[in-house]
Amino acid sequence: MQHTFASKDGPIEVTLTKTGDAFVLEGHELRQHNRGRVHITLRDGRTCLAHTAKVGDVWWVHLNGRTYKWERIEPGSSGAEDEGGLVAPMPGKVLEVLVREGDAVEAGAPLMVLEAMKMEHRIVASTDGIVTNIHFNAGDQVAQGATLLDLE
Amino acid sequence: MANRGEIACRILRACREAGHPTVAICASNDVGSLFTEMANEVIVLNGDTIAETYLDQQQIIQAAKTTGATAIHPGFGFLSERADFATAVESAGLIWIGPSALAIKKMGDKMTARQTMRAAGVPVIPGEEVEEVDEAKALVALRDASTRVGYPLLLKASSGGGGKGMRAVHGPDEFDQAATGARREAVAAFGDGRIYIERLLSGSKHIEIQVLADKHGRTVHLGERECSVQRRHQKVFEEAPGPTMSQALREAMGQAAVAAAEAVNYVGAGTVEFLLAPSGEFFFLEMNTRIQVEHPVTELVTGVDIVREQLRIANGEPMSCGPLMIRGHAIEVRLYAEDAANGFLPSIGPLAVFRPPEGPGIRLDTGVREGDDVTPNYDPMLAKLIVWAPSRHEALQKMRRALDEFVVLGTTTNIEFLRDLCDAAPVVDGLTTTTTIDELWPNGWNPPTVPMLEEAALLTAASAETLGLHRQRTTGTAESSNGGPVSPFSTLQRRFP
Repeated sequence: MQHTFASKDGPIEVTLTKTGDAFVLEGHELRQHNRGRVHITLRDGRTCLAHTAKVGDVWWVHLNGRTYKWERIEPGSSGAEDEGGLVAPMPGKVLEVLVREGDAVEAGAPLMVLEAMKMEHRIVASTDGIVTNIHFNAGDQVAQGATLLDLE
Repeated sequence: MANRGEIACRILRACREAGHPTVAICASNDVGSLFTEMANEVIVLNGDTIAETYLDQQQIIQAAKTTGATAIHPGFGFLSERADFATAVESAGLIWIGPSALAIKKMGDKMTARQTMRAAGVPVIPGEEVEEVDEAKALVALRDASTRVGYPLLLKASSGGGGKGMRAVHGPDEFDQAATGARREAVAAFGDGRIYIERLLSGSKHIEIQVLADKHGRTVHLGERECSVQRRHQKVFEEAPGPTMSQALREAMGQAAVAAAEAVNYVGAGTVEFLLAPSGEFFFLEMNTRIQVEHPVTELVTGVDIVREQLRIANGEPMSCGPLMIRGHAIEVRLYAEDAANGFLPSIGPLAVFRPPEGPGIRLDTGVREGDDVTPNYDPMLAKLIVWAPSRHEALQKMRRALDEFVVLGTTTNIEFLRDLCDAAPVVDGLTTTTTIDELWPNGWNPPTVPMLEEAALLTAASAETLGLHRQRTTGTAESSNGGPVSPFSTLQRRFP
């Protein structure tokens, strides 16, 4: 569970660990309660409720009266053109195929999970459509730029 | 309803409460805005610019005629202080919800207003008016006047407002350049280059008195509001009563305001603005001949619904409010879509989450809701958050809590700036002046660095991405919709104490 976010000092790599039902980073814990509500226990034991929204690639997070913005950098992508594209952004291995041929998907729906350089990368639908062809199965190696699936 | 946004919502609600059917007008880029949903009918205006829509007098009067409307409420801004519009509305056989065109004109021209006030015995800021229109002659006359007024001084445009055509001058060597600049700006903005001089009273408080006058000869004041805290000549934090106000001073300023209103045969709701000098002397600044943005703080401490009174007065009824009673303390902050850490520049974006605080003593006046887009087309004020509590101390505590709870995601707002303002010593002590913000943050405001929260936010962003929270309903929407109607069966077995 690795993600890269932009900061004024350059990209930050975040590696989440899981302890029980909590995601953990630097001693802070996050638990998802019902209806998508997110609770945080800070390292010093204080707790708060988080509100989130994703606008473009930017996660807006409200915590304790403060609002933070973290821009996510898609692994291996170099620009907006690659965002959610149906080609492998880097050489790697298909971990999971989340759809079947003929499935109708909405824009933003996860289609496939790749692993490369020990990072997971989610391939998401760039538009609404029907999955017409799936070119790889779980466990397959893929080259950078390979077309993974077709969406119409 | 010849206005839009937050104030249109406020007035349309008052009309609905009073049982008056309403017609909204809107530009095509406002179709679907919150205020249009609060009216019984909506007329979409032709045209693209503000001048072609919300400022097009003939089109607005036509909309009133077509729909059978009997009165026009101008709100604030736009056409609210245009004497020619008041005249046009009345000539069309409609009721103008505001003072007479003559009162607007007398107060709108600042030099005329100063002369009228002097004649009525209302103290005005020491200074001189220069009626000369010819550029060269006006400059000579202004320079002569400046030696009598003394430095530092302010040059102000007679038709001015919003800081345009205004210059602070600290010594004679700066005078010519400042006067030429102020005149040029005034000609460009108002087509009127007349300038007057006022002594610059630094360290003063901005105190204004709400007045109401009906057509039965009754003029009352509803006490004061203090609106000293300003950025770029715009108010951001307003309260009632004034934290340093004595009953004697309130009475003196109230009487002066009533005299000011009576001097122009004022009818309706208006505000007389004063500067209160550190010496305790107060001076007439100007009169706003309309409802004001910050009217809710007065409503909360006096119990008077100012907009309902406007409707009553326009209808020829006597106003309903009794003797002045001030109870507790109210504070209003203005939420702007702006980047307070970047020179208060306006920002735009979607209101992906818009979750206002709730609870006792909290009022929100807004024209937006979650899912709306903030565009550069109109004023960036998103909402007014107003709190009431028994004391000023508790009102500040409530405001801090309310701002902490206010979640707006997708568009940068000044919420955190307002929150920090509530902790600033001059605000806590009630010793704010018109220069407080510049003194508190001479190099501009920046949010405090809280590494612990920043890390937790990063954890939240990464986890939210992993969980795919952006493909679920956000916490904000889930909570604000309360999960839909509650089944009666789920409450049948409950007992309530």
